[in-house]
Amino acid sequence: MNGSPITSWEGAEAYFTFADSPTMITIFLVGAVVVCFGAIFYGGMHESEAYKENMPE
Amino acid sequence: MEQQIAELTEKLAALEAAQAMSSTVNSEIFYWWCTGLMVIIHAGFLAYEMGASRAKNVLASGIKNILAFAFVIPTFFFFGWWIYLAFPNGFIPVMDSYGAPWDASMGPNLADNATGVFWAAFTLFAATTASIFSGAVIERIRVSSFLILAILLGSVVWILGASWGWHPTGWLTVQLGYHDVGAAGVVHMIAGFFALGVLINLGPRVGKFNEDGSANELCAHNVPFTITGLMLIIVGFFGFLGGCIIYMPGEQWINIYGQPATLSAFAFNTLMGFSGGIIGAWLKTRDPFWMMSGALVGIFCAASGLDVYYPPLAFLLGFFGGIVVPMAAKALEKAGIDDAVGAFPVHGVGGLIGVLGCGLFASGYPNVEDYPPITLYGQAIGAVVMALLGFIPGFVVSYIMKLMGVLRVPDEIQIIGLDKTKVPVKAYPEGGIGSAMPAE
Repeated sequence: MNGSPITSWEGAEAYFTFADSPTMITIFLVGAVVVCFGAIFYGGMHESEAYKENMPE
Repeated sequence: MEQQIAELTEKLAALEAAQAMSSTVNSEIFYWWCTGLMVIIHAGFLAYEMGASRAKNVLASGIKNILAFAFVIPTFFFFGWWIYLAFPNGFIPVMDSYGAPWDASMGPNLADNATGVFWAAFTLFAATTASIFSGAVIERIRVSSFLILAILLGSVVWILGASWGWHPTGWLTVQLGYHDVGAAGVVHMIAGFFALGVLINLGPRVGKFNEDGSANELCAHNVPFTITGLMLIIVGFFGFLGGCIIYMPGEQWINIYGQPATLSAFAFNTLMGFSGGIIGAWLKTRDPFWMMSGALVGIFCAASGLDVYYPPLAFLLGFFGGIVVPMAAKALEKAGIDDAVGAFPVHGVGGLIGVLGCGLFASGYPNVEDYPPITLYGQAIGAVVMALLGFIPGFVVSYIMKLMGVLRVPDEIQIIGLDKTKVPVKAYPEGGIGSAMPAE
């Protein structure tokens, strides 16, 4: 599997390996956004459960 | 003869290219190390917050602090950097892809040595802003809600303020001559006032206030750790302030507004403000916590005019702040607001003194282009903008969270302790600190 958009450094500028097209950039970017905000949502759920479990009778 | 001239011309061009590349790389290295030093700010905030917590909450406070840093980094990549570049005119963005997360500049690029290190430095400014807020709300805010607020502050609110007042063409400097080279307003005031807005809705820690309104001292479990943390923050601020000046290869340094400046001026005034703050707080309180907080206050009180002040003036501004800020902390407590580490007095009030001080003591200092010079009026308007820009989002969003019941940890859980409730490891497993402490 070849992820490099360049084969030499001659004239090379931006070179994001495995993300040399708008589609791949979008996939990685959206993936990172989803992980970031999904983690907060998941963390919030975990917090609520922890408080519920530890609440004194 | 002609051949010799051609050879010399070729050598000269090669030398010029080598010199230009060397300067570019030097600039890149400068901001790289400023960023590295700024990470020490976060080591300091971590120690400071954990030390200031009671033993039953120490690891939960650490987790919250670490996560603020972690979440501000990607969100500043997603939209923070773009906000800085897009909003110098107010609320209407300048539509340009530079700074957007999909732009060719936002990653490895052999034609761009600058964007990555500038983005990194600004990201650390952002994380610092969020960490300032973090300390104020320890021991009773839900982490998930805190993270949303930290992202709002670190990757949206302060950077919008920076776009307005800490940008070569920000409307505050273009229209009012606003001058704030060390970010007293755009970082410290915004963070302090944001914290105040949240604190009003969050409420105090259980046991902080009695029914008659008098306050109890909820003692930090490790004051030496807190004081060491504060000193680490100050070490890191040398990276922060270094990142506030622009390295111009082959030319004199300029400040963020394009005015000529020197790093030497920053060195004089940072150290003199630092010193004045410690001495002022020492005379006022004799408390090492406030002495080290006073050191920070001293820097913030001089921060707006680090490039222009006579160093003894920076010292006196710091001294004044070192005396006033502990008084502001007392007043805040009397008002029934529990700011666990004094974030609002230190950053909000210290930053306010810094911004207004620049209007009092640097009025008439010229601006670039045909922009207005520094005036007290411009600084005062800038201070109001920074205060509102911090306070309103913090208050409104935390109020919505309060209505939804997701802002505050239940009082029963606060009494048990956050570590016991949700942290899978113990801070002090072999007994001693905290293990036999009665719940407060």
